[in-house]
Amino acid sequence: MSGSCGCPISRRKLLAAGAAGVFAGLVGEQLATQLAFASPSYSGDVFVLLSLRGGFDGLSAVVPAGDPAYYAARPGIAVPKARLVGGDGYFGLNPALAPLLPYWQAGTFGAVQAVGQPVPNRSHFSAMEELERAAPGTSVRTGWLDRMMGGLGADGPFGAVSVGSAMPARVLAGPAPDLGLTAVDAFTLSGEDRTRPMAATMAALYAGAPQSLAATTAMTTSALATTAELKAAGYAPANGAAYPDTELGKALRDVARLIKADVGLMSACVDSGDWDMHENLGAATPGRRMYDHLNDLASALAAFAQDLGPAGLGRVTLVTISEFGRRVEQNGSGGLDHGYGNAMLVLGGGVRGGKVHGRWPGLAEGRLVDGDLAVTTDYRAVIGEILRDRCGVADVSAVFPGVSPAKLGLVKAR
Amino acid sequence: MGVTATDFLPADPLLHLLRRATYGPTPASTAEIRRLGASAWLERQLKPGSIADKTADGLVARLPLSRLSIDGVHAKVRSRAVKQYGWEPMFELGYAAVARAVWSERQLLEVMVDFWSNHLNVACPSGDVWDSRPDYDRVVIRPYALGRFADMLKASAKHPAMLTYLDNRFSTRAAPNENYGRELLELHTVGLGYSESDVKHAARLFTGLTVRWDTGKYRFDAGQHATGPVRVMGFSHANATAAGGEAAAMALLDHLALHPATAKRIATKLCVRFVSDTPPATLVTKLAKVYLDNRTAIAPVLRALFTSPEFAASVGEKTRTPYEDVIATVRTLGYAPEKSGTQALRALYWITEAAGQAPMAWAPPNGYPDVATAWASPSGQLIRWNAHLNITAGWWPNTLQRPASLVAALAGSTLPATYGGLIDAVATRLVGRKVSAEHTEALAAFYGKTPASPLRAGDAAAGWAFPYLPALLLNSPYFALR
Repeated sequence: MSGSCGCPISRRKLLAAGAAGVFAGLVGEQLATQLAFASPSYSGDVFVLLSLRGGFDGLSAVVPAGDPAYYAARPGIAVPKARLVGGDGYFGLNPALAPLLPYWQAGTFGAVQAVGQPVPNRSHFSAMEELERAAPGTSVRTGWLDRMMGGLGADGPFGAVSVGSAMPARVLAGPAPDLGLTAVDAFTLSGEDRTRPMAATMAALYAGAPQSLAATTAMTTSALATTAELKAAGYAPANGAAYPDTELGKALRDVARLIKADVGLMSACVDSGDWDMHENLGAATPGRRMYDHLNDLASALAAFAQDLGPAGLGRVTLVTISEFGRRVEQNGSGGLDHGYGNAMLVLGGGVRGGKVHGRWPGLAEGRLVDGDLAVTTDYRAVIGEILRDRCGVADVSAVFPGVSPAKLGLVKAR
Repeated sequence: MGVTATDFLPADPLLHLLRRATYGPTPASTAEIRRLGASAWLERQLKPGSIADKTADGLVARLPLSRLSIDGVHAKVRSRAVKQYGWEPMFELGYAAVARAVWSERQLLEVMVDFWSNHLNVACPSGDVWDSRPDYDRVVIRPYALGRFADMLKASAKHPAMLTYLDNRFSTRAAPNENYGRELLELHTVGLGYSESDVKHAARLFTGLTVRWDTGKYRFDAGQHATGPVRVMGFSHANATAAGGEAAAMALLDHLALHPATAKRIATKLCVRFVSDTPPATLVTKLAKVYLDNRTAIAPVLRALFTSPEFAASVGEKTRTPYEDVIATVRTLGYAPEKSGTQALRALYWITEAAGQAPMAWAPPNGYPDVATAWASPSGQLIRWNAHLNITAGWWPNTLQRPASLVAALAGSTLPATYGGLIDAVATRLVGRKVSAEHTEALAAFYGKTPASPLRAGDAAAGWAFPYLPALLLNSPYFALR
């Protein structure tokens, strides 16, 4: 069971190989609980939510090249038609997204334009909260991904995982269990060994603790055995995939690792930050801010898709969301202030990609909402369509109150 | 189960005050507050200039870049002591924050510096403020941390670090940049409830406040100021001349600092920091009035907060954030700083970074969250648990000055006769009380014993394996709650 074999080892294979004994002293009863926990009966896609923090400029990524108002509004930072790649005739992709071009052409990477929240909200913090609660006008306090997990009956610690942060994901806030991992290999308990049962002692010390503290501890102690196995097994990406050495690259590598290890992963959350480009967004050339950031994003996503391979990607759907899009017109600092309508990027084996979905409202003066791209499709309806058609969520309104799935034909039904 | 948070904390109100108003009780601070009483202790903390602070001053002196002015950073670049765009001054500021949080005698000042650094956040380190971030700490945050908020707000608005971080330096008369105008309203002052028109007017009024490209210092560029009437949250100004633009902008800040919505917002945030994640409305209302009656002076607000019945009744309602946890670990253990150098300060800083809360390092402008749910993460918990053992055992950092005998320091010079006695003594020393009978059993079971088992000097639990006991107690709810 060398960590350097490079082959993905599922937990069942690992156990069959007799590796369980290696960990028998690890966490006592927790390990027994883990062994009893097989993959749940879930047969839908692993749903990967990539949050683009700061307000992603969908117009720079999925460029409305056929709309002259786009070029008029952004004399310094519009992407020239000649530099666009992919696309579908009206829209073109920023050349920084070139790493994803093979997936666009294969139809496993696509986009939706003019999506967003039901009402404009140009405050980062309030908009993010609404985005993740996704129940405007109600008293619902949970995150929408938690409601999805609850509806699917998730129970194991690895059903819903957020990767890359020491903080819990708000979209997973609520009663369904979820696990925050900075990184798989970092999830270890110092000092634990056969003769010093630290995890078991901690579980006992939190017995009777206030619920908020006790719940976290239960997750911590119950996940340790599995992460110890994964760490011992090591990980090398498949198919020559090379993840960029970025936070996002590392996080997606761990998501692929959890998918392949068959630990019962149903949904994963990862973040990509620094999209709040009020100044000096730059031309679409290497070394400029938006170009480089989009290129980092595309490189990480392409590595993820390559690592999973066609079969793996066939049971994964990844979508991007962001709290708002950005103002159509550039400001005096060569940047873009907070706006409204946005684009979502979608990657997965079941995606009907290679095109831009959604109804384009246009960027002419009279079509804008306070200077911003209008929203023609609620982001919740887009996600709802994916949850219904790829993840087996029968009642989307239980996740998004009052929302019906969109009819974009964005994904193939499983 | 019927167990509540108060079952994990000692009833002593002096320890409650130390847990909330400082980065955690130390043996020395506990003795001091018992000697002075709550009221005299608090008054002393509210006048930090009167408190000698030799240890912290000595540590900060080891981090000279942390105290540089903008001119000072540029001079270091010219003398090649600091690279152009180098981050070392910002990192030294972070290490200095850790040093002061652990070892400063001016604990309430340091807690409030952290509070305001989050309220008027300028992420440190971040590339664009490489030359101005230490100065921002020196001239905007520290001088006013227990002073008047209106003064701090005006100082922040004209400081190159804030002007850069929220882009106002790039704003122009023709196309105002709204970033500062929006966060000024939403985060620095009145909170949500402003209109898009308020943002646009504020952004217009702040055009012209910018930064000199050559020196990196503030200047008002009247040529870039957009004139014409502005109306923002009940403030109106003719803003008739470009030359008068800076004074008009400052007048808006005075108006906003004294706005009732700002008073309520700051009172609420202080209550969330010091009282409860869900603060009582009665206390918020009372503190907002004190804030306005005292023209935004903060010391009277803190005095009213810490002497309120709501504060006294809030035992168990706060949980340590990762930063508070790491700092309190060193304080509770009573370890002294390394004799020379900064290796341990750096190590502690990077532990807080791994735990998700290096001081001043939150990237967005809203500052770190201050409620337990925002930090309730298994990964975060493990990082903290690992830090407890590493720090306690002296594995990492490995240069702090630890007692010659940790057992004697934490359990008394006479070794207790039983495992139960050992656990009682160490818990009393670290968390101010014995743990429950069930938890005493669990801790004894860690060593394969029961509370009644006799403890012998040669036992691992009294020797090489002893540090696990304080670490397990620091991992427990008895310490996690603040």
